Amino acid sequence: MLERSHIQSTGFRNVGPQGARTGFEVRLRQANYRSSRLSLIEGVDITVDGVLYPAENNLFRLGEREYTLAELNEATQTRLYVGDHFTVVVPKEGGLTRGVHLVGSAIRYRHPYFPPEFQPAIVRNERHATIILP
Amino acid sequence: MTGFRYGVSLYSYTDDFGTVMTLEDAFDHVADTGSTGIEILGETSVPLYPEPPAAWIDTWFSLIERHKLEPTNFACWVDTRIQIDRNMSAEEGAAQIAQDLRLAHRLGFKFIRPKFGVIDRELTPDPIWEGAVERCLDLANQLDLMILPEIHAPTPIRHPVTNAYIDFIERTGTKHFGLMIDTGIFQDRPLDAWGGGDFEAIKKGAPEMVYGTKVPVEHLDDVIKYVPFIQAKFHRIDENLHDHQIPWDRIVPKLKDLGYSGYLSSEYEGARDPWVAIEQVRRQHALIRQLEDQYDAAKLETAHA
Repeated sequence: MLERSHIQSTGFRNVGPQGARTGFEVRLRQANYRSSRLSLIEGVDITVDGVLYPAENNLFRLGEREYTLAELNEATQTRLYVGDHFTVVVPKEGGLTRGVHLVGSAIRYRHPYFPPEFQPAIVRNERHATIILP
Repeated sequence: MTGFRYGVSLYSYTDDFGTVMTLEDAFDHVADTGSTGIEILGETSVPLYPEPPAAWIDTWFSLIERHKLEPTNFACWVDTRIQIDRNMSAEEGAAQIAQDLRLAHRLGFKFIRPKFGVIDRELTPDPIWEGAVERCLDLANQLDLMILPEIHAPTPIRHPVTNAYIDFIERTGTKHFGLMIDTGIFQDRPLDAWGGGDFEAIKKGAPEMVYGTKVPVEHLDDVIKYVPFIQAKFHRIDENLHDHQIPWDRIVPKLKDLGYSGYLSSEYEGARDPWVAIEQVRRQHALIRQLEDQYDAAKLETAHA
């Protein structure tokens, strides 16, 4: 089961060893109505408590595999299916503090059937989510 | 008297599907509308598209049989701008269409709707469409499928995009390419919610999509002979079976006058709160069936007068 919001409660956590966190990650569901070739996803911006973590610095993880933006553009035959989730890995020294944060996501989808001036389409979501382990 | 055939596109259940609705649930909802047809989106509804597991194919046919639904249209995409810096060639476009024709055929469908990438605001398809489709006409013939691009808002019926498709049919003489009309082109009152994405963004960026393309239903006269399938796009129907955007009271009699006897396949694209789509689709079927019954009753009365 997936939560209706794009951002999922589960999967919001710090990464790296406790005491020396290297960043945090956020789990999102596929927010498009059809599966997306990864090459049609131009990255995901994340905001936490008003601070922007731009797509260019983040990694996109599907299953076990992590992708940079350039690697997403090459992945024309790998799909993010409806009903699937993926994870955005955000570098941030020290990670996030324990507690409830306001988390935002902006997925940049390129829909070739949209007029060029609407590519990419930015699909946004925002909600509260909780870090348990600092 | 010939009647419409009624169906539902699983596009209607966007956002429910994959969060609060399974494929089995969707079949149940579609069948209970009294529909005979089910339309799917290949990339959405078929797990591991384009290569579903064999066990899933068995599940598909058991659902089709149990719910007595026939597969109608298989929606698919030709993602012409496949990479940020590279467009598909006509050969790649043809390979995509051929793949979808084969999968659609395997699942028992009669139509595919490839959605081509576009090059402008009037939704002019990438010029590779013509070479890509032409390369697939023999395969479509072998598999007995029709390839149907959609005429979708804000592109009206009387427009170079539509004309180019008709010229193609006339030039090739093919019986395996036609037009799909999306009833969103008849929208004549503004949207108050949009199920296709961010409503505020579309209001700002593409107001023509909010206020409607307002195609006169009489323009169907020009093209109906090329139209074997209609996507019954709508956005909101209230408790009095009043549609707030799409003029069914003009569309239904026009289609009846023209003798249209193909599918009206519901495409709900309104508010995306959980489960709302299930009820909205039911209201649309009640509304269109009521208008069809009224038309038939009036004809009968005239005949007996």
